[in-house]
Amino acid sequence: MFDAIRHSVRGKAILLVLASTVSALALSAVGLVLYDLRAYERQWTTDLTTQAEILARASAPALAFDDRATAAKDLALLKVRPFMLAGALYTRSGELFATYTKPGFDTRFPPRPEAEGYSIQGDQLSLYHRVVEEGEAIGTVYLVAYYRPWSRLVDYLTIIGLVMIASLAVTALLSGWLQSAITMPILEVARVAREVMSQRDYSLRARKTTDDEIGELVDSFNAMLAESGRRAQELRDADQRKDEFLATLAHELRNPLAPLRNALEILRMRDVDPATGEKARQMMQRQLAQMVRLVDDLLDVSRITTGKLAVRREPLVLQAAVNDALETVRPLVETRRHQLDVSMPEEPLMVQGDRTRLAQVFSNLLNNAAKYTEPGGRLWISLEAEGEEAVVRVRDSGIGLDPHALSTIFDMFVQVDRSLERTQAGLGVGLTLAKRLVMLHEGTIAGRSEGGGLGSEFEVRLKLAAAGEEGGGSQGLSASPAAPPRRLRILVADDNVDAATSLADLLVARGHDIRVAHDGAQALFAARGFEPDVAFLDIGMPKVHGYEVARRLREETATRRTLLVALTGWGREDDRQRAKEAGFDRHVVKPPDPAEIDRILDVASSRTATA
Amino acid sequence: MAAVRALLAILLVGIATAAAGQRTEATEASLKAAYLFKFAGYIEWSATDFASPEAPIAIGVVGADEIAAELYRIVAGRSIAGHPVAVKRFAEGEAARGVQMLFVGREASKLAGTVRAAQAQGILVVTDTERGLEMGGAINFVPQGERLGFEVSLDSAEKSGHRISSRMLNVARRVVQKGAS
Repeated sequence: MFDAIRHSVRGKAILLVLASTVSALALSAVGLVLYDLRAYERQWTTDLTTQAEILARASAPALAFDDRATAAKDLALLKVRPFMLAGALYTRSGELFATYTKPGFDTRFPPRPEAEGYSIQGDQLSLYHRVVEEGEAIGTVYLVAYYRPWSRLVDYLTIIGLVMIASLAVTALLSGWLQSAITMPILEVARVAREVMSQRDYSLRARKTTDDEIGELVDSFNAMLAESGRRAQELRDADQRKDEFLATLAHELRNPLAPLRNALEILRMRDVDPATGEKARQMMQRQLAQMVRLVDDLLDVSRITTGKLAVRREPLVLQAAVNDALETVRPLVETRRHQLDVSMPEEPLMVQGDRTRLAQVFSNLLNNAAKYTEPGGRLWISLEAEGEEAVVRVRDSGIGLDPHALSTIFDMFVQVDRSLERTQAGLGVGLTLAKRLVMLHEGTIAGRSEGGGLGSEFEVRLKLAAAGEEGGGSQGLSASPAAPPRRLRILVADDNVDAATSLADLLVARGHDIRVAHDGAQALFAARGFEPDVAFLDIGMPKVHGYEVARRLREETATRRTLLVALTGWGREDDRQRAKEAGFDRHVVKPPDPAEIDRILDVASSRTATA
Repeated sequence: MAAVRALLAILLVGIATAAAGQRTEATEASLKAAYLFKFAGYIEWSATDFASPEAPIAIGVVGADEIAAELYRIVAGRSIAGHPVAVKRFAEGEAARGVQMLFVGREASKLAGTVRAAQAQGILVVTDTERGLEMGGAINFVPQGERLGFEVSLDSAEKSGHRISSRMLNVARRVVQKGAS
């Protein structure tokens, strides 16, 4: 019973109603009884005094004129009041004048009257009252009546008992109502919650039966379910997109391998004619470039998902970024025999931004345009100033986009046409990346299409920088004046033997002196006698990792000034930071771009020249 | 009443050898005087009965010297309904004037004439004779064994312009209603 009350809302509700009803009744009963017992005595004596006064007035003439018979008749009227037990009249001199006794009641009248007033003895109240006529006392009335407050108390308790029983009945009804109005909806919510947990079905809803706070609870609960369901669906969708992305990734990475292997086979043949050999080399270069681009995209995806995508903000000429992008996509455009129209103003349009990243945005847009347009189509790219903004538009005559697709194309891993995608390389991150990059430049990007088959247009808007901000100008491309080629001592350390050897071959071909190591310990040992001008160090090496090697080389007097270059597969910002702290001068992401290696060697040449 | 008792005590102690008849006479006279005073308390006096609010209720006595003497003693220092009470003794044949109530004693001669004359002047008459009410008395003493009773004629009372309290009628031996004669 008590357990049932403790564990059910209904039991508690009933207990609450019961307890408040019973205690309210009990308290009011106690108050009433106390008040009434006090009032009873006063009321009763007042009543009896009034009775005595009436009797005194009526029987005054009988007393005055010595008429006992009339006095007895007057007293006999007391019999109409059943609780009057006896009455008597005394003369002025105190003699008993007339009496009345209730039938069946036995009493002895006092021989002489006492002083005016009342007294209570047992269950009897007796009272003396003077008979006064014209201001003179002419006699005394004596009355005896029942005095039974306890019987009245019993009456009270009976009534309270009946009221309590009635209240309990009402309570039972109320609790029944509570059950349906309060407990039931809550139980319903609990039931639905259990079902949702066991079935993972977020489409279930609790039924709303009332418009009160519980109704609100049900509404909130249902809204929460809807939200949970939506989130679960989103997670499933995202997960599915990721799965598709991984499948696409594997596919895209594998695609270039076949032509690479074929080309390699061709080159290994002894009697390859020069034209075929050149063709194979070009093919290898193209496929390799494609792979590098895929991996770069992959790194950018990682930066987007971890929120580490960042851009530099430097004054730059927007035409340069567009030209970079055109340079990148030209091979694809030529392959697909598209006609590309370029329209740019003569005067330079300056913006604050990251030239490489903006070029990436435009090349992504151009790349998409080329991919999603049937061979022999037309592409347009235009750059113009509109008020405070520079606007770049990339348009094509391709397959276009339907309105539904327009809303999702900027989402991660979304690809417009899977069937077409099978023939077109890409990971479905290009537009996502473009949008993030534009947003980082505080610009906007929007897609437009007249519909399927009618081509599409993408528009990027960037805030124009004031003309005076042109300071740095073109950077990077014309780095340092080409130093006369010098023979440099170069240490290459990589546990991947092929990677180390191929880089070493490349450097030997450039006429440098090379030492190769395949772990950190070897690298340190080799460096000691060799005193290299430049050291290309892999980070993830056995025995001693690259960071530690760099730190120790920095401590040695002979290698303190060596140009240290980190070679890693990790291109994230914190990786760069860590390399810098370990003492590296440069951080190069694998595979190293030959042009970049040349730049590094140029820097090293000039350093050794000045040293 | 105190006076009656004082008198009784004097009589009992002072005149111990007095005859029983004498004692009865004295007791009866004082009892009648006491009743006369009490009657005055049950008459519903109106303002027109008096010259002024302070004017006394005057009780005239004819032909009952002993009772008159008792009455003098009784009314001394007492009042009824705010009025002091006075007693006036009238000689036989003298016209009763300036009283509101007149007791005509048993010894009075020309009893009926006296009663009529008084009633005509608006005086409430008390008699002490067998056919007192029929003669025009409003209240008449009636002997009743050892006790003293009285009878009332509402008719006569009304003729003299007075009303008698119904409380007193309760203890009257006989009540003659209005318009009965």
